[in-house]
Amino acid sequence: MRMDPKQFREYVLIHGTDILGWPEDIRTPGLKALESSLELQALLEDEERFERVLKERRYEDPRPELAECIISASRRKKDKRPHSIVVFFSDLFWEFGVPNRALTAFSVSLLIALILGFAIGFFYPSGAISSEQNQINLEAFLYCEGDVL
Amino acid sequence: MHVDPTDLDDSLLLQQIRQGGHEAFAVLVNRYADRCYRIAYRLVSSKDDAEDIVQEAFLKLWRRPKLWDPCKGAKFTTWFYRVVINLCVDHQRKKRPLGFLEDMEFADGNPGHDALLDNHQRQSLLERFISDLPDRQRQALALCFYEGVSNHDAADMMGVTLKALQSSIMRAKMTLKKKVKLYLGGGST
Repeated sequence: MRMDPKQFREYVLIHGTDILGWPEDIRTPGLKALESSLELQALLEDEERFERVLKERRYEDPRPELAECIISASRRKKDKRPHSIVVFFSDLFWEFGVPNRALTAFSVSLLIALILGFAIGFFYPSGAISSEQNQINLEAFLYCEGDVL
Repeated sequence: MHVDPTDLDDSLLLQQIRQGGHEAFAVLVNRYADRCYRIAYRLVSSKDDAEDIVQEAFLKLWRRPKLWDPCKGAKFTTWFYRVVINLCVDHQRKKRPLGFLEDMEFADGNPGHDALLDNHQRQSLLERFISDLPDRQRQALALCFYEGVSNHDAADMMGVTLKALQSSIMRAKMTLKKKVKLYLGGGST
């Protein structure tokens, strides 16, 4: 397999400038292509400079007791976990891999609206019309724009 | 015969955690907290936030260890790193995006002279270039370039195809290279 400069450049971007760390099937063709081309050698040097700049990126180590903090927090967590409907739905959405908590909040609001709707419908069913309301309806039926029908 | 939990593999530890085994959980935390932190840090660029995210991920696992289902075929680490990545994505969405590059003040109005930028400024600029990348490209760069995760594993963690992952790495590097060349003077386009 021969590797052209375009492929070589792509592999350098994907797998990095350490050609010995490339996947086996492209390593040897990559090394051969590099050996035989000054252009590719210049390209590789250029990429190495670029990678060195990327590696200047800031990094801060975690506090040494991070693992211990997590372990202690988990001891408290299991006991104190609140059993609320919000936690239930949050867990439910977590289960389905939905990362956005806003969606969970939205779903809970929808559920609350639904429950409220049922409650209102239950306590004020549309069929239950008061005698006063019945009278108004009758007048509206008998009078149309001030005239008696 | 007592088996030392540190000798157990991840799936056996998870079995014990499901039965409330706190010792097994501690082993898992000690085994992966640093790696998870490094991934989270590369995605959120803040020590405190990365630590909070790692803690949240582990506490979720402790509360609901059955969320990882070995029958679904994913390795525990692949699944758990994905959990961490998702938490980072959530976190980034909540945070206000950074301003435009033009907001940066340069000593003489010419950003091309890297000699004029001290190390802190160079790092801040680089951080900004990286944070401007789309989520997927940033994740690909963090996993493959900074953490040395293999392309296959990174694709699994991100839930994308290998081709999509490789394309993301290439795009991320090409975009960064242009900006680095323009503002920091490293490499050519």
